[in-house]
Amino acid sequence: MFKSLLRTMGMYKQFRARLVVSQVLVLISATAIIGVASLNQRLINEGIEAGDVEAILSTGMWMLLLAVISGVCLAGTAYFAVFFSQGTGYYVRSYLYRRIQTFSFGNFDRFRTGDMLVRLNADVVNIQNALLYMTLLLLYAPFMLLITYVLTIINTPSLLLVLVIVTVVVLGVMALLIPQVFRAYDERQQRLDDMNNTMQENLAGVRVVKAFVREDYEVERFDQRADALRKPAYTAAVRVAFLAPMLTGITQLGIVLSLWVGGQQVLSGSGLNVGELVTFTQYMSLIVAPLAMLAIVFPFMLRGDASASRIFEVYDDIPTVQDREDAQPPEAETVGGQVVFDNVSFAFRRPDGELDPPVLKNINLTIEPGEQMGFLGATGAGKSALVNLIPRFYDVTEGSITIDGVDVRDVPQDNLRQIVGIALQEAVLFQGDLRFNLKFGAPETEDDVMFDAAKAADSYGFVTNIPQKWEAPVAQRGANFSGGQRQRLSITRALTTQPKVLILDDSTSALDASTEGRVQEAIPDFTDNITTLYVAQRISAVIDLDKIVLLENGEIVAMGNHEELLESSPLYQEIYESQLGSGITAGLDVEVEK
Amino acid sequence: MTTATLEKKSSDSVNEKSVKYIDKPDDTFPIIGRLFDYMAGEDERSKFILALIVRVIALIGLVAIPFLTGQAINVLSDPNGTTAELQRWVIIAVIAAVVYLVMSFFAERLFADMATRGLQKLQTRLFSHMQTLSLTFFDRQPIGELMSRITNDTEVVSLFYEQAVSPIIRASIQILLTFLVMLIIDWRLTIVALLVVPVILILTNVIERVSTPAFAKMQEELGSLSGFQEESLSGHKVIISKRQQDWADGKNDALADSLHEVGSKAFFNSLLQYPLTQALSLIQIVLVMVVGALMVVGGETDLGTVIAFAGYAALLTKPLSEIANLTSTTLNAAAGGRRVFTIIDEKPTVKDAPDASEFEFKGGHIQCVDVDFSYVPGRKILRHNTFDVAAGESIGICGPTGAGKSTLINLLTRYYDIDSGTILIDGQDLSKLTQESLRKQVGVVLQEAFLFTDTVMNNLKYARAGATDEECIDAAKEANAHEFILNLPQGYDTMLTERGANLSQGQRQMITIARAMVAQPKIMILDEATSNVDTRTEKLIQEGLRKLMEGKTSFSIAHRLATIRDSAKIMVLNGGEIVEYASHDELMAMKGFYYALYMSQFKGKAPAGLDEADVDFVST
Repeated sequence: MFKSLLRTMGMYKQFRARLVVSQVLVLISATAIIGVASLNQRLINEGIEAGDVEAILSTGMWMLLLAVISGVCLAGTAYFAVFFSQGTGYYVRSYLYRRIQTFSFGNFDRFRTGDMLVRLNADVVNIQNALLYMTLLLLYAPFMLLITYVLTIINTPSLLLVLVIVTVVVLGVMALLIPQVFRAYDERQQRLDDMNNTMQENLAGVRVVKAFVREDYEVERFDQRADALRKPAYTAAVRVAFLAPMLTGITQLGIVLSLWVGGQQVLSGSGLNVGELVTFTQYMSLIVAPLAMLAIVFPFMLRGDASASRIFEVYDDIPTVQDREDAQPPEAETVGGQVVFDNVSFAFRRPDGELDPPVLKNINLTIEPGEQMGFLGATGAGKSALVNLIPRFYDVTEGSITIDGVDVRDVPQDNLRQIVGIALQEAVLFQGDLRFNLKFGAPETEDDVMFDAAKAADSYGFVTNIPQKWEAPVAQRGANFSGGQRQRLSITRALTTQPKVLILDDSTSALDASTEGRVQEAIPDFTDNITTLYVAQRISAVIDLDKIVLLENGEIVAMGNHEELLESSPLYQEIYESQLGSGITAGLDVEVEK
Repeated sequence: MTTATLEKKSSDSVNEKSVKYIDKPDDTFPIIGRLFDYMAGEDERSKFILALIVRVIALIGLVAIPFLTGQAINVLSDPNGTTAELQRWVIIAVIAAVVYLVMSFFAERLFADMATRGLQKLQTRLFSHMQTLSLTFFDRQPIGELMSRITNDTEVVSLFYEQAVSPIIRASIQILLTFLVMLIIDWRLTIVALLVVPVILILTNVIERVSTPAFAKMQEELGSLSGFQEESLSGHKVIISKRQQDWADGKNDALADSLHEVGSKAFFNSLLQYPLTQALSLIQIVLVMVVGALMVVGGETDLGTVIAFAGYAALLTKPLSEIANLTSTTLNAAAGGRRVFTIIDEKPTVKDAPDASEFEFKGGHIQCVDVDFSYVPGRKILRHNTFDVAAGESIGICGPTGAGKSTLINLLTRYYDIDSGTILIDGQDLSKLTQESLRKQVGVVLQEAFLFTDTVMNNLKYARAGATDEECIDAAKEANAHEFILNLPQGYDTMLTERGANLSQGQRQMITIARAMVAQPKIMILDEATSNVDTRTEKLIQEGLRKLMEGKTSFSIAHRLATIRDSAKIMVLNGGEIVEYASHDELMAMKGFYYALYMSQFKGKAPAGLDEADVDFVST
């Protein structure tokens, strides 16, 4: 039980010693608090009843001293509790994130970004809470109970039954109430998520709502969600609010009960005196609150443990692409950029380790240095999968890919990705300035290279039009730039690393055809003999390339330049027809006659 | 620390959304008052008064108990005390405790009921008000930002309603009653019992002052950490492809480190309150006991009174620190409430004229005369747009990014009001029509195929209240969506996940087309989306669109010129102005801007008979 939670604590080197110290402090403060109450006996018996002012004052001094000691020790415990919870939070955040950074695309397919973020945030907070309350409270009530029971057995054994009753009642009521509270909170959270999702959708789809004039319907739908939220919110609120008065009430009833049971004994003269009885009633008001909190700690620990095991699920995942031990960096100058696919097949691996149906089948392809090759095909034809294998975002299932005759799996990833540059369709930029983003792959690059890259990618113009130019701030995900601008910046970023093989994975989709054409023309001039691979949906993106590879269902179905394909491939003709119109016969005269 | 404060602290730390706000402008009280009105305003006034009465009865029971137990102790220390006397006090005390428990339960039920109803009222008020707001409001900030602000703000308000109002009222009454009873019994012991109170108040206040900004700082740090993590994880492909994992690790460590530092400080400061108040209330009881003991020895009072005062001391200090703990919840709620009310007080920019009439469709003849439009005053997006569309004519709209294509069609449904000029539909001035009657006749298919998290059928029915299943299925057939819908796991009853993620882009598009058909519009507006759709799907979509537009006045924005070449007329926009407006063939013959756009797609591979264009253009 709580194995994962304890494992998170183990991230500390010397946590054991500190844990022991913190719990010793808990023990001392529990003892001191009970001590204060116990001294009432002396105050009443030796002070008041004997009329001894001296005894009253000296007992008072002791009580004050113990009160201060309890405060100091508890403060010490609080320090350790914070130390453990915050420290563990830091370690989990740092280690888990570091582990995630070793992951490859395959791992990211398994755990979506959102799942990872939940583990890095909400789950860490759950662990922190669990550790905080564990350190503070888990042993506090047991220690206090232990001392109270021992003292009761020694001094007032006839009242033991009352103590047992109060203990059982408090634990019983809390065991009943707290799971209800947590259930209600979970339910409330779910309903709240439902309601927020409804609002989120409404806001995101505001144009659709307005277009179909469905505002009233939306309000009605939201009302239902808000109403569904109210019930669990009410259940949780009532129980939480009643908790404090209930515990106060139980304490008072415990005091009255001890007065009744003990009082009869005092009156009958069976050995119990008033001082002992008053002391016992003081115990009542001291033990109820810690006992109640014990009931709150457990659910927190359960939650923390569940979160911890979720975290380790990610943490223990093995990176799908790793450097081979004997991987050798190639000599940078000699890389020519010839890419050869030798009978390559590829299938995604499911979380259970089984392979999905293949997305690429027996691909044989040679891309010569300096060649410009386009990859065309429908969604799911395998275009992206094919190019993703070159920089080893995934490893081939069968066959091999070589660059200048060297298997890409024999090259360290660091070197491989210097040779192979890629600009992705979703052009993500990071918060920072433009220079940081454009030199992201190669921070040491000279500005001149970046300028040239920007010129080639047609971003130089709009960047230099911004007042701050290369220092212009970039918002998170590059939200302050338009889609087309982001794509051009992303291409600039890929060029700045001066790769030998450049992959543009549908990364000109937001550009108009004429800008796209300019970029395609400029890239070979930027680096001599650069091998460029274009993946595209639009035929106009690849129409004038040396060679176009047409993919369908993971296989190469045709290859050639535009004219050749238009001649020979029915699939290509179909695509051309649909995208550029009846272009084959689009001589103007024909059209005008129609 | 009472369980209530533990609950409150824990909910603070568990719920990351409860951002603490430190700003304290002067309108805090009016805003709290306005929030309070939602919970206990006019309609709920009698319920609130009832709750107050129940609460007071409960607390009278509670405050009686220490006095009664004190009396019982006096019986015990009296040599002549009898069991009958003891029994009397014990029975009364038990009754008092039961009254307290039962009445407290009812009071909490009433308060929780008012709290959750008040919150619901606020939420629905906010939501329904937002439905009346115009697009200018939604354009002002990214939807995600607006959403997370509303979520946070209503959450802090709900904490106030559900966890602050009732405890604050309870604590205030308890303090008042306890203080009164103490004064009546013995004013000297009252003073002794109150000695520690200022110290507790000052300490709680100091801790609150230190830890509230510390928690705010912590939330800020947490925000930048999770912001970075979100950005870097969703950009993982870039980081992996550029091998910048070390950079990411370093930045994450630095952010996690400063969060650790700030978080430790915040938590330690706020946790200090627990040992301190615990020790102080022990000291308070000790003082009462010692001074009381001396007074008993001096014959000034009796033991029972002293013990009763020890009990009162606890009844006094707990609620005091409780109130202190709840000030930050209250201030947060004021800050959240302020922003919620800003939205509720926002006026819609597009309003129906007081004498607005219903739109009457007479074929769909559309005239635009000298229309100017700007989102931000002074930055014209559309200039001098004048055009005339005959009833039933199909119009293609094209032009480079930023030319104003989407803006133009947004004006036709009156999502925005124009700066100057006139738009007439069938001779009726757009600005003098009700928005509802207009939009019911004008169908829109947008570039982003937005679907709701609901079944396919309900998504189709969304287009028109009262549409039947048959009508929806017919529309789906027309839009070529019927077949793939039947192939979904539950056919038309298949739930679409968030934003329709379990369908392909093309399938989503076909459903939106079917949805537009269900609305049976008289005029159509399309913002064509073409990316990520294969040729076969594309054909099916085009076919669906053609059926949708058949015989209707229609406008379609095209990104691929092939899709609009068959339009009766093509409107070419550049820089907010209509530069060309004619049929495809006429435009090609003109060899102007459209010709250049058209030719650029071929990159020199144009079919024979077409010359290279010499016009070039730069997209923004």
